[in-house]
Amino acid sequence: MVKTNKQSENMYDLSTVLDFDALDSVRPGTSLLVAGPAMSGKEALAMDILKDGVGNGEGAVVVTTNDQASSVVDDFRTDVPEMDDSQLGVVDCRGDNSGGEAAQSGAYIHHVNSPGDLTGIGIGITKALEGLHKSGRDQGRLALVSLSTMLTYTDKKTVFKLCHILSSRLDSAGYVGVFTIDSGAHDDQTLQVIKQAFDGLIEFREEDGTRQARVMGLTSQPSEWKEL
Amino acid sequence: MSESDRPVVLIVEDEPDVAETYKLWLRNDYEVRMAHDGDEGLDLLDDSVDVVLLDRMMPGLSGDEVLERIRERDLGCRVSMVTAVEPDFDILEMGFDAYLSKPIRSEQLHETVENLLERSDYDTLLQEYYSLVEKQATLEASKSSAELEESDEYDELKEEIGELKSELSESLGGIGDDADFIATLRGLSNGEDE
Repeated sequence: MVKTNKQSENMYDLSTVLDFDALDSVRPGTSLLVAGPAMSGKEALAMDILKDGVGNGEGAVVVTTNDQASSVVDDFRTDVPEMDDSQLGVVDCRGDNSGGEAAQSGAYIHHVNSPGDLTGIGIGITKALEGLHKSGRDQGRLALVSLSTMLTYTDKKTVFKLCHILSSRLDSAGYVGVFTIDSGAHDDQTLQVIKQAFDGLIEFREEDGTRQARVMGLTSQPSEWKEL
Repeated sequence: MSESDRPVVLIVEDEPDVAETYKLWLRNDYEVRMAHDGDEGLDLLDDSVDVVLLDRMMPGLSGDEVLERIRERDLGCRVSMVTAVEPDFDILEMGFDAYLSKPIRSEQLHETVENLLERSDYDTLLQEYYSLVEKQATLEASKSSAELEESDEYDELKEEIGELKSELSESLGGIGDDADFIATLRGLSNGEDE
Protein backbone atom coordinates (compact mmCIF):
# COMPACT_ATOMS: atom_id res chain seq x y z
CA MET A 1 0.00 0.00 0.00
CA VAL A 2 1.28 3.41 -0.95
CA LYS A 3 1.81 5.70 1.99
CA THR A 4 -0.23 8.81 1.42
CA ASN A 5 0.49 12.29 2.61
CA LYS A 6 -2.44 13.33 4.75
CA GLN A 7 -1.43 16.93 4.56
CA SER A 8 -1.98 17.06 0.83
CA GLU A 9 -4.78 19.43 -0.01
CA ASN A 10 -5.80 17.34 -2.98
CA MET A 11 -6.98 14.49 -0.79
CA TYR A 12 -10.68 14.16 -0.12
CA ASP A 13 -11.79 14.09 3.48
CA LEU A 14 -14.96 11.98 3.64
CA SER A 15 -14.69 11.38 7.37
CA THR A 16 -16.75 14.49 8.11
CA VAL A 17 -19.67 12.61 6.55
CA LEU A 18 -18.89 9.15 7.89
CA ASP A 19 -16.46 9.11 10.78
CA PHE A 20 -13.78 6.56 9.90
CA ASP A 21 -10.02 7.12 9.89
CA ALA A 22 -9.83 5.28 6.58
CA LEU A 23 -11.97 8.01 5.01
CA ASP A 24 -10.11 11.10 6.18
CA SER A 25 -7.68 11.24 3.29
CA VAL A 26 -9.04 9.61 0.18
CA ARG A 27 -6.89 9.78 -2.94
CA PRO A 28 -8.37 11.54 -6.00
CA GLY A 29 -9.53 8.88 -8.45
CA THR A 30 -10.77 6.53 -5.73
CA SER A 31 -14.06 4.76 -6.38
CA LEU A 32 -16.05 3.38 -3.49
CA LEU A 33 -18.89 0.90 -3.42
CA VAL A 34 -21.54 1.53 -0.78
CA ALA A 35 -23.35 -1.73 -0.02
CA GLY A 36 -26.12 -2.47 2.42
CA PRO A 37 -29.68 -3.68 2.75
CA ALA A 38 -32.63 -1.61 1.57
CA MET A 39 -33.35 1.50 3.63
CA SER A 40 -30.00 1.36 5.41
CA GLY A 41 -29.01 4.86 4.37
CA LYS A 42 -26.64 4.07 1.48
CA GLU A 43 -28.12 6.57 -0.90
CA ALA A 44 -28.37 9.27 1.75
CA LEU A 45 -24.69 8.68 2.49
CA ALA A 46 -23.75 8.97 -1.18
CA MET A 47 -25.68 12.24 -1.49
CA ASP A 48 -24.21 13.57 1.77
CA ILE A 49 -20.71 12.88 0.47
CA LEU A 50 -21.48 14.94 -2.63
CA LYS A 51 -23.21 17.73 -0.71
CA ASP A 52 -20.25 17.96 1.63
CA GLY A 53 -18.00 18.45 -1.39
CA VAL A 54 -20.31 21.08 -2.85
CA GLY A 55 -20.13 22.90 0.48
CA ASN A 56 -16.35 22.98 -0.04
CA GLY A 57 -16.73 24.48 -3.48
CA GLU A 58 -16.27 21.21 -5.37
CA GLY A 59 -18.26 19.90 -8.32
CA ALA A 60 -20.84 17.13 -8.06
CA VAL A 61 -22.30 14.72 -10.60
CA VAL A 62 -25.31 12.60 -9.69
CA VAL A 63 -26.21 9.68 -11.93
CA THR A 64 -29.62 8.53 -10.81
CA THR A 65 -31.86 5.67 -11.84
CA ASN A 66 -34.46 6.44 -9.21
CA ASP A 67 -35.03 10.14 -8.70
CA GLN A 68 -36.18 12.89 -10.95
CA ALA A 69 -33.37 15.30 -11.82
CA SER A 70 -35.27 18.36 -10.61
CA SER A 71 -35.86 16.80 -7.20
CA VAL A 72 -32.14 16.04 -6.91
CA VAL A 73 -31.38 19.69 -7.73
CA ASP A 74 -33.97 20.93 -5.21
CA ASP A 75 -32.58 18.63 -2.57
CA PHE A 76 -29.05 19.97 -3.07
CA ARG A 77 -30.27 23.56 -3.01
CA THR A 78 -32.08 22.96 0.25
CA ASP A 79 -29.22 21.19 1.99
CA VAL A 80 -26.41 23.34 0.61
CA PRO A 81 -27.91 26.86 0.35
CA GLU A 82 -24.58 28.36 -0.68
CA MET A 83 -24.39 26.10 -3.74
CA ASP A 84 -23.93 27.71 -7.12
CA ASP A 85 -26.00 25.83 -9.72
CA SER A 86 -22.91 25.47 -11.90
CA GLN A 87 -21.51 23.09 -9.28
CA LEU A 88 -24.06 20.38 -9.99
CA GLY A 89 -24.71 18.04 -12.92
CA VAL A 90 -27.43 15.39 -12.92
CA VAL A 91 -27.73 12.45 -15.29
CA ASP A 92 -31.30 11.24 -15.00
CA CYS A 93 -31.60 7.67 -16.33
CA ARG A 94 -35.22 6.99 -15.50
CA GLY A 95 -36.21 7.44 -19.11
CA ASP A 96 -39.10 9.63 -18.11
CA ASN A 97 -38.65 13.33 -18.64
CA SER A 98 -42.31 14.12 -18.51
CA GLY A 99 -42.04 15.35 -14.93
CA GLY A 100 -42.06 19.13 -14.59
CA GLU A 101 -38.43 20.14 -14.83
CA ALA A 102 -37.38 23.09 -12.76
CA ALA A 103 -37.08 25.53 -15.65
CA GLN A 104 -35.07 27.98 -13.60
CA SER A 105 -32.47 25.34 -12.90
CA GLY A 106 -29.00 26.43 -13.85
CA ALA A 107 -27.67 23.01 -12.93
CA TYR A 108 -26.72 20.80 -15.84
CA ILE A 109 -29.36 18.13 -16.46
CA HIS A 110 -29.05 15.31 -18.96
CA HIS A 111 -31.79 12.77 -19.66
CA VAL A 112 -31.03 9.21 -20.69
CA ASN A 113 -33.63 6.85 -22.12
CA SER A 114 -33.02 3.99 -19.74
CA PRO A 115 -30.57 2.74 -17.11
CA GLY A 116 -29.44 0.26 -19.77
CA ASP A 117 -28.34 3.01 -22.16
CA LEU A 118 -24.69 3.06 -21.21
CA THR A 119 -23.65 5.26 -24.13
CA GLY A 120 -26.21 7.86 -23.11
CA ILE A 121 -25.00 7.73 -19.53
CA GLY A 122 -21.42 8.16 -20.74
CA ILE A 123 -22.37 11.19 -22.80
CA GLY A 124 -24.26 12.69 -19.85
CA ILE A 125 -21.30 12.20 -17.53
CA THR A 126 -18.89 13.61 -20.12
CA LYS A 127 -20.97 16.73 -20.63
CA ALA A 128 -21.47 17.20 -16.90
CA LEU A 129 -17.72 16.87 -16.25
CA GLU A 130 -16.98 19.22 -19.11
CA GLY A 131 -19.32 21.85 -17.66
CA LEU A 132 -17.77 21.53 -14.21
CA HIS A 133 -14.31 21.77 -15.64
CA LYS A 134 -15.23 24.92 -17.56
CA SER A 135 -16.56 26.56 -14.43
CA GLY A 136 -13.26 25.80 -12.74
CA ARG A 137 -14.31 22.91 -10.51
CA ASP A 138 -11.25 20.71 -10.75
CA GLN A 139 -12.17 18.67 -7.74
CA GLY A 140 -15.44 16.88 -7.42
CA ARG A 141 -17.40 13.80 -6.55
CA LEU A 142 -19.68 11.57 -8.57
CA ALA A 143 -22.44 9.32 -7.24
CA LEU A 144 -24.21 6.56 -9.13
CA VAL A 145 -27.47 5.54 -7.49
CA SER A 146 -28.02 2.70 -7.91
CA LEU A 147 -26.16 -0.22 -9.44
CA SER A 148 -28.99 -2.50 -8.32
CA THR A 149 -31.35 -0.87 -10.79
CA MET A 150 -28.72 -1.11 -13.51
CA LEU A 151 -28.36 -4.82 -12.76
CA THR A 152 -32.01 -5.31 -13.63
CA TYR A 153 -31.36 -3.84 -17.08
CA THR A 154 -28.09 -5.50 -17.89
CA ASP A 155 -25.97 -8.43 -16.68
CA LYS A 156 -23.30 -8.40 -13.99
CA LYS A 157 -20.49 -8.64 -16.50
CA THR A 158 -21.59 -5.43 -18.19
CA VAL A 159 -22.11 -3.65 -14.87
CA PHE A 160 -18.68 -4.78 -13.69
CA LYS A 161 -17.04 -3.41 -16.82
CA LEU A 162 -19.08 -0.22 -16.60
CA CYS A 163 -17.88 0.34 -13.04
CA HIS A 164 -14.31 -0.25 -14.07
CA ILE A 165 -14.51 2.14 -17.01
CA LEU A 166 -16.24 4.83 -14.93
CA SER A 167 -13.61 4.43 -12.22
CA SER A 168 -10.86 4.96 -14.78
CA ARG A 169 -12.62 8.04 -16.12
CA LEU A 170 -12.98 9.44 -12.59
CA ASP A 171 -9.35 8.66 -11.97
CA SER A 172 -8.27 10.78 -14.91
CA ALA A 173 -10.60 13.57 -13.75
CA GLY A 174 -9.21 13.40 -10.20
CA TYR A 175 -12.71 12.86 -8.84
CA VAL A 176 -13.98 10.53 -6.15
CA GLY A 177 -16.81 8.13 -7.02
CA VAL A 178 -19.49 6.59 -4.80
CA PHE A 179 -21.68 3.83 -6.19
CA THR A 180 -24.53 2.25 -4.25
CA ILE A 181 -25.80 -1.33 -4.36
CA ASP A 182 -28.58 -3.05 -2.43
CA SER A 183 -26.85 -6.07 -0.92
CA GLY A 184 -30.15 -7.83 -0.31
CA ALA A 185 -31.16 -7.71 -3.96
CA HIS A 186 -28.36 -9.82 -5.45
CA ASP A 187 -26.66 -13.14 -4.81
CA ASP A 188 -23.30 -13.24 -3.02
CA GLN A 189 -21.42 -14.05 -6.17
CA THR A 190 -22.73 -10.99 -7.97
CA LEU A 191 -21.78 -8.80 -5.01
CA GLN A 192 -18.32 -10.38 -4.85
CA VAL A 193 -17.76 -9.66 -8.53
CA ILE A 194 -19.01 -6.07 -8.43
CA LYS A 195 -16.88 -5.31 -5.36
CA GLN A 196 -13.76 -6.16 -7.35
CA ALA A 197 -14.34 -3.22 -9.67
CA PHE A 198 -13.79 -0.78 -6.80
CA ASP A 199 -10.93 0.53 -4.70
CA GLY A 200 -12.87 0.34 -1.48
CA LEU A 201 -16.12 -0.69 0.14
CA ILE A 202 -18.36 1.00 2.69
CA GLU A 203 -20.66 -1.64 4.11
CA PHE A 204 -23.83 -1.11 6.10
CA ARG A 205 -25.71 -3.62 8.24
CA GLU A 206 -28.46 -3.75 10.85
CA GLU A 207 -27.39 -5.50 14.05
CA ASP A 208 -29.38 -5.68 17.31
CA GLY A 209 -31.58 -2.88 16.12
CA THR A 210 -28.70 -0.50 15.37
CA ARG A 211 -27.20 0.64 12.10
CA GLN A 212 -23.55 -0.20 11.69
CA ALA A 213 -20.92 0.50 9.08
CA ARG A 214 -17.37 -0.50 8.24
CA VAL A 215 -14.83 0.48 5.61
CA MET A 216 -12.75 -2.02 3.64
CA GLY A 217 -10.05 -1.82 1.01
CA LEU A 218 -8.65 1.65 1.65
CA THR A 219 -6.31 0.54 4.43
CA SER A 220 -4.50 -2.76 4.79
CA GLN A 221 -6.99 -3.98 7.39
CA PRO A 222 -10.76 -3.52 7.27
CA SER A 223 -12.10 -1.21 9.95
CA GLU A 224 -14.17 -2.55 12.83
CA TRP A 225 -17.95 -2.40 12.62
CA LYS A 226 -19.06 0.85 14.15
CA GLU A 227 -22.46 1.92 15.36
CA LEU A 228 -23.84 4.97 13.58
CA MET B 1 6.53 -9.47 -37.37
CA SER B 2 5.13 -11.58 -40.18
CA GLU B 3 2.67 -10.27 -42.69
CA SER B 4 -0.26 -12.14 -41.13
CA ASP B 5 0.38 -10.80 -37.63
CA ARG B 6 0.02 -7.23 -38.64
CA PRO B 7 -3.22 -5.46 -37.78
CA VAL B 8 -5.55 -5.13 -40.75
CA VAL B 9 -6.89 -1.73 -41.78
CA LEU B 10 -9.70 -1.46 -44.31
CA ILE B 11 -10.02 1.85 -46.14
CA VAL B 12 -13.45 2.57 -47.61
CA GLU B 13 -13.07 5.69 -49.75
CA ASP B 14 -14.48 6.57 -53.16
CA GLU B 15 -11.74 9.01 -54.17
CA PRO B 16 -8.82 6.89 -55.46
CA ASP B 17 -6.13 9.52 -54.82
CA VAL B 18 -7.19 9.97 -51.23
CA ALA B 19 -7.38 6.20 -50.65
CA GLU B 20 -3.91 5.70 -52.17
CA THR B 21 -2.46 8.39 -49.93
CA TYR B 22 -3.85 6.72 -46.81
CA LYS B 23 -2.48 3.40 -47.98
CA LEU B 24 0.98 4.86 -48.57
CA TRP B 25 1.01 6.25 -45.07
CA LEU B 26 -0.17 3.07 -43.40
CA ARG B 27 1.29 0.21 -45.38
CA ASN B 28 4.57 -0.04 -43.49
CA ASP B 29 2.79 -0.74 -40.23
CA TYR B 30 -0.41 -2.47 -41.22
CA GLU B 31 -1.91 -4.77 -43.76
CA VAL B 32 -4.05 -2.39 -45.78
CA ARG B 33 -7.14 -3.33 -47.79
CA MET B 34 -9.02 -0.91 -50.00
CA ALA B 35 -12.64 -0.64 -51.06
CA HIS B 36 -14.00 2.00 -53.40
CA ASP B 37 -17.53 2.07 -52.11
CA GLY B 38 -19.70 0.81 -49.28
CA ASP B 39 -20.74 -2.43 -50.97
CA GLU B 40 -17.19 -3.42 -51.73
CA GLY B 41 -16.25 -2.47 -48.18
CA LEU B 42 -18.84 -4.85 -46.76
CA ASP B 43 -17.57 -7.61 -49.08
CA LEU B 44 -13.99 -7.18 -47.89
CA LEU B 45 -14.97 -7.09 -44.26
CA ASP B 46 -14.38 -10.18 -42.15
CA ASP B 47 -13.14 -11.13 -38.68
CA SER B 48 -9.55 -10.34 -39.56
CA VAL B 49 -10.19 -6.61 -40.02
CA ASP B 50 -9.20 -4.58 -36.95
CA VAL B 51 -9.86 -1.01 -38.02
CA VAL B 52 -12.12 0.46 -40.71
CA LEU B 53 -11.59 3.98 -42.04
CA LEU B 54 -14.96 4.85 -43.45
CA ASP B 55 -15.65 7.86 -45.63
CA ARG B 56 -18.99 9.32 -44.73
CA MET B 57 -19.99 10.79 -48.07
CA MET B 58 -19.86 8.21 -50.82
CA PRO B 59 -22.02 7.41 -53.83
CA GLY B 60 -24.19 4.36 -53.15
CA LEU B 61 -24.22 3.22 -49.55
CA SER B 62 -23.35 6.07 -47.18
CA GLY B 63 -20.86 5.68 -44.38
CA ASP B 64 -23.71 5.67 -41.86
CA GLU B 65 -25.42 2.81 -43.67
CA VAL B 66 -22.21 0.81 -43.89
CA LEU B 67 -21.65 1.33 -40.18
CA GLU B 68 -25.13 0.08 -39.41
CA ARG B 69 -24.50 -3.12 -41.37
CA ILE B 70 -21.14 -3.62 -39.69
CA ARG B 71 -22.79 -3.39 -36.28
CA GLU B 72 -25.56 -5.74 -37.39
CA ARG B 73 -22.96 -8.30 -38.38
CA ASP B 74 -21.45 -7.98 -34.93
CA LEU B 75 -17.86 -7.82 -36.11
CA GLY B 76 -15.30 -6.80 -33.54
CA CYS B 77 -13.68 -4.14 -35.70
CA ARG B 78 -13.32 -0.47 -34.76
CA VAL B 79 -14.70 2.10 -37.13
CA SER B 80 -13.45 5.62 -37.61
CA MET B 81 -15.56 7.94 -39.67
CA VAL B 82 -13.75 10.19 -42.08
CA THR B 83 -15.67 13.38 -42.64
CA ALA B 84 -15.35 16.82 -44.11
CA VAL B 85 -17.15 18.48 -41.21
CA GLU B 86 -16.14 18.69 -37.57
CA PRO B 87 -18.51 16.33 -35.78
CA ASP B 88 -19.51 16.23 -32.12
CA PHE B 89 -20.81 13.73 -29.59
CA ASP B 90 -23.74 12.84 -31.83
CA ILE B 91 -21.33 11.05 -34.11
CA LEU B 92 -20.22 8.89 -31.22
CA GLU B 93 -23.82 8.31 -30.31
CA MET B 94 -24.38 7.01 -33.82
CA GLY B 95 -21.90 4.26 -33.14
CA PHE B 96 -18.61 5.39 -34.63
CA ASP B 97 -15.55 4.72 -32.49
CA ALA B 98 -13.64 7.76 -33.64
CA TYR B 99 -13.69 10.40 -36.30
CA LEU B 100 -11.19 12.12 -38.53
CA SER B 101 -11.86 15.46 -40.18
CA LYS B 102 -10.49 16.06 -43.65
CA PRO B 103 -7.89 17.05 -44.64
CA ILE B 104 -6.07 14.37 -42.68
CA ARG B 105 -2.36 14.35 -41.99
CA SER B 106 -0.30 11.18 -41.83
CA GLU B 107 0.43 11.65 -38.16
CA GLN B 108 -3.26 11.99 -37.28
CA LEU B 109 -4.15 8.90 -39.24
CA HIS B 110 -1.52 6.85 -37.45
CA GLU B 111 -2.59 8.18 -34.10
CA THR B 112 -6.22 7.28 -34.67
CA VAL B 113 -5.49 3.76 -35.89
CA GLU B 114 -3.05 3.19 -33.01
CA ASN B 115 -5.57 4.48 -30.54
CA LEU B 116 -8.33 2.24 -31.85
CA LEU B 117 -6.07 -0.80 -31.65
CA GLU B 118 -5.10 0.15 -28.11
CA ARG B 119 -8.73 0.40 -27.20
CA SER B 120 -9.29 -3.14 -28.47
CA ASP B 121 -6.44 -4.27 -26.22
CA TYR B 122 -8.08 -2.55 -23.29
CA ASP B 123 -11.39 -4.31 -24.02
CA THR B 124 -9.62 -7.66 -24.25
CA LEU B 125 -7.83 -7.06 -20.95
CA LEU B 126 -11.04 -5.97 -19.27
CA GLN B 127 -12.81 -9.10 -20.50
CA GLU B 128 -9.97 -11.28 -19.19
CA TYR B 129 -10.03 -9.45 -15.89
CA TYR B 130 -13.76 -10.02 -15.56
CA SER B 131 -13.43 -13.75 -16.30
CA LEU B 132 -10.83 -14.16 -13.56
CA VAL B 133 -12.82 -12.12 -11.05
CA GLU B 134 -15.86 -14.24 -11.76
CA LYS B 135 -13.82 -17.41 -11.36
CA GLN B 136 -12.56 -16.15 -8.03
CA ALA B 137 -16.10 -15.38 -6.86
CA THR B 138 -17.21 -18.88 -7.91
CA LEU B 139 -14.37 -20.49 -5.95
CA GLU B 140 -15.12 -18.37 -2.91
CA ALA B 141 -18.77 -19.32 -3.05
CA SER B 142 -18.09 -23.05 -3.34
CA LYS B 143 -15.20 -23.55 -0.92
CA SER B 144 -14.65 -22.84 2.75
CA SER B 145 -11.98 -20.33 3.73
CA ALA B 146 -9.83 -23.22 5.01
CA GLU B 147 -10.07 -24.93 1.64
CA LEU B 148 -9.23 -21.69 -0.13
CA GLU B 149 -6.14 -21.27 2.00
CA GLU B 150 -4.93 -24.67 0.88
CA SER B 151 -5.72 -24.10 -2.76
CA ASP B 152 -2.84 -23.33 -5.11
CA GLU B 153 -5.34 -22.56 -7.83
CA TYR B 154 -6.86 -19.85 -5.69
CA ASP B 155 -3.45 -18.35 -4.91
CA GLU B 156 -2.49 -18.26 -8.55
CA LEU B 157 -5.82 -16.74 -9.47
CA LYS B 158 -5.40 -13.96 -6.94
CA GLU B 159 -1.94 -13.25 -8.23
CA GLU B 160 -3.12 -13.15 -11.83
CA ILE B 161 -5.95 -10.80 -10.89
CA GLY B 162 -3.50 -8.47 -9.20
CA GLU B 163 -1.29 -8.40 -12.27
CA LEU B 164 -4.15 -7.76 -14.66
CA LYS B 165 -5.45 -5.02 -12.42
CA SER B 166 -2.22 -3.06 -12.63
CA GLU B 167 -1.90 -3.76 -16.33
CA LEU B 168 -5.39 -2.33 -16.82
CA SER B 169 -4.72 0.78 -14.81
CA GLU B 170 -1.65 1.40 -16.95
CA SER B 171 -3.50 0.90 -20.21
CA LEU B 172 -5.60 4.01 -19.89
CA GLY B 173 -5.46 4.10 -23.66
CA GLY B 174 -8.87 2.52 -23.40
CA ILE B 175 -10.40 5.69 -22.06
CA GLY B 176 -7.75 8.30 -22.75
CA ASP B 177 -10.21 10.98 -23.80
CA ASP B 178 -13.95 11.63 -24.00
CA ALA B 179 -14.35 9.93 -27.37
CA ASP B 180 -12.58 6.84 -26.01
CA PHE B 181 -14.69 6.83 -22.91
CA ILE B 182 -17.99 7.02 -24.76
CA ALA B 183 -16.98 4.57 -27.46
CA THR B 184 -15.80 2.08 -24.82
CA LEU B 185 -19.17 2.32 -23.10
CA ARG B 186 -20.93 1.92 -26.43
CA GLY B 187 -18.85 -1.19 -27.03
CA LEU B 188 -20.20 -2.56 -23.76
CA SER B 189 -23.80 -2.22 -24.88
CA ASN B 190 -23.00 -3.83 -28.21
CA GLY B 191 -20.67 -6.37 -26.73
CA GLU B 192 -23.17 -8.76 -25.17
CA ASP B 193 -22.20 -11.34 -27.71
CA GLU B 194 -20.09 -13.83 -25.83
